[in-house]
Amino acid sequence: MQQRTVTIINRLGLHARAAAKLVKLAARHKSRITLARADAPQKSADAKSIFSVLLLAATQNTSIEITVEGSDEELAMEALCRLIADKFGEE
Amino acid sequence: MRGLIRKLPEERLEGIGVCPGVAIGNAFLVDDPRGRVVRVFLPKEQLETEIFRFREAARAAQVQVKKDIERVRAALGSDHAYILEAHLLMLQDRTLGRQIENFIRVNHANAEWAVRDVTQHLLEVYGQIEDEYLRERGSDIEDVAHRIIKILSGKEQRSLNEMADNSIIVAGDLLPSVTADLNPRKVLGFVTGIGGWTSHTAIIARSVNIPAVVGVRDITERVRSGETVIIDGAAGTVILNPSPETLIFYTEERQRQRQQALYDIEERELPAITLDNHEARLRANIELIEEIDSYQRFNAAGVGLYRSEFLYSQAETGQPTEEEQYEAYKFLAGMVGDEGAVIRTFDLGGDKLHLDGFKTERNPAIGLRAIRLSLSVEPVFRTQVRAILRAAAHGDLKILLPFVTNVDEVRQAKKIIADVERELSDEHILHEQRIEIGVMIEVPAAVMMAEALAREADFFSLGTNDLIQSLLAVDRGNENVSALFDPMHPAVLRAVKMVAEAADKMQIPVNVCGEMASNPAQVILLLGLGLRDLSMTPSAIPAIRRLVRSVKLTDAQALASHVLWMDTPAEVRHYVQAHLMDLGSELLAAAYPG
Repeated sequence: MQQRTVTIINRLGLHARAAAKLVKLAARHKSRITLARADAPQKSADAKSIFSVLLLAATQNTSIEITVEGSDEELAMEALCRLIADKFGEE
Repeated sequence: MRGLIRKLPEERLEGIGVCPGVAIGNAFLVDDPRGRVVRVFLPKEQLETEIFRFREAARAAQVQVKKDIERVRAALGSDHAYILEAHLLMLQDRTLGRQIENFIRVNHANAEWAVRDVTQHLLEVYGQIEDEYLRERGSDIEDVAHRIIKILSGKEQRSLNEMADNSIIVAGDLLPSVTADLNPRKVLGFVTGIGGWTSHTAIIARSVNIPAVVGVRDITERVRSGETVIIDGAAGTVILNPSPETLIFYTEERQRQRQQALYDIEERELPAITLDNHEARLRANIELIEEIDSYQRFNAAGVGLYRSEFLYSQAETGQPTEEEQYEAYKFLAGMVGDEGAVIRTFDLGGDKLHLDGFKTERNPAIGLRAIRLSLSVEPVFRTQVRAILRAAAHGDLKILLPFVTNVDEVRQAKKIIADVERELSDEHILHEQRIEIGVMIEVPAAVMMAEALAREADFFSLGTNDLIQSLLAVDRGNENVSALFDPMHPAVLRAVKMVAEAADKMQIPVNVCGEMASNPAQVILLLGLGLRDLSMTPSAIPAIRRLVRSVKLTDAQALASHVLWMDTPAEVRHYVQAHLMDLGSELLAAAYPG
């Protein structure tokens, strides 16, 4: 199991386009991927469900805890962190 | 329901009965006024098929969105397709899919209902997100839900008519188009959460004679499709989970009413003549032209009261134009033929006219309304009079002035009417040159001045509802005192007598258009007091016709003259009750208590 906390740095946060990119990326991996807000860890989101991701309401500067568990967990974690650090390719 | 054991206590809900009659049947819930997303309670064996139906629709929706994405990409570049990509992900989202499928299983729901309910819930959650941009994503969810529902209903549209076969339609509200499309032979009754006597559902229910109760709060939350519901349209009662005893009671009552309806048809053409050969005239009160169907069904002898202000509820611009009014009045004239129709001029309050600087009134019932408003905002009154005079060229129409308290008001109104008439003559527009003008007697001052008013008026119309309220100083809508609203009060009977005598002296006709005219016991008193021209809600006509045919006018006169000088309402009531049997009609005894 991999676990890492990252900060959403793009200006608009995890809005529809960013969420869509994240969900598509997550869906390409076999591992179970969950996201949770660092300030509300009990409410975790399935990274493969756009509804759950949007419901995190993660705006700019929100800290997100990513948990990945499965055969391709390292790859998945790497790819997700890169996407977020790249500001979802937006700015 | 099959597979579900739900033994709930009987529950009685009160609403406004807008079309009498008993209906017993399964509820059919329509939770969208447009009648689209229809809640259907499905039997267990159909649930998997329904889930399949949902999955197919979701798949079809995905295909649509993919096509849209390609189209947008080609036209505008891939950056612009991202919202649609989010939609696609939503459609593929198993969280949503699972919730919807689960909802279908748990609630035995049809797919449309499940999609709506689940997405509605999601929307509520989104509504609480603080970030405005993210909150906006709610509209994407709506869009996606809408797409699925559209596919579901397009492919395999559940026609309300087909689904509603032999059921009682339950809805928050229904659009007129939906109600109008229903097949009256298949729908047993209507219950709606909002609405009143003149809401569309009410009018349509009356025109096709289907029992209906409106204004039953939260009804859609309390009933599920498929549950047994009883409605008593006369009492305005809706019964949920009826006990076996209640069910038997209402089944018998329904049987009795069906039998009665057959008699009504047989007796439809019989003249309203007393046993000693005095004829009564039974006319209809109507609010809207659409009600003319029931007017014909009950064979009314003309329209005694057409409440023209209801044109306001239908006018497209908020204020009915001369042409709109003309068309309505002309239609009315054509329908009633020689029997004629009495058009009461707008009985509105100032709030309805959106007057500049109009101050909200503390007590609008005795404020600037009806004839007072017509005389103070002359253009509105003149427009109405023009429309009536023009329409009267096509049939027998009369004008009735509401809420008159002063002879001068009648004189002023007559002057304006004469002026409008000259105007039409000058313009060479076809119109009636000598229209009859009547005065509504509905306040004590008008009773006291009846003789003077009779010199100005061509006829009287006795509005007993308002008259009783103002004479007895009772607001019927106030539960604390509503029991004091008593048509049997000797003061009411004496006022009626005064009006009848004044009219008789001046040789003008009087019509009674309040509810007294539709209550059998009270009708006997009215007949006895010399009133034989009665106007009522059309469905009351058969019972009153039967009543008139079962009494002797001389007996009614004796009864009336006896109770007229009693001291209290209770004495009148007891005496009338005790003597109804003597009048030789079992119907009467059954019809009582009034």
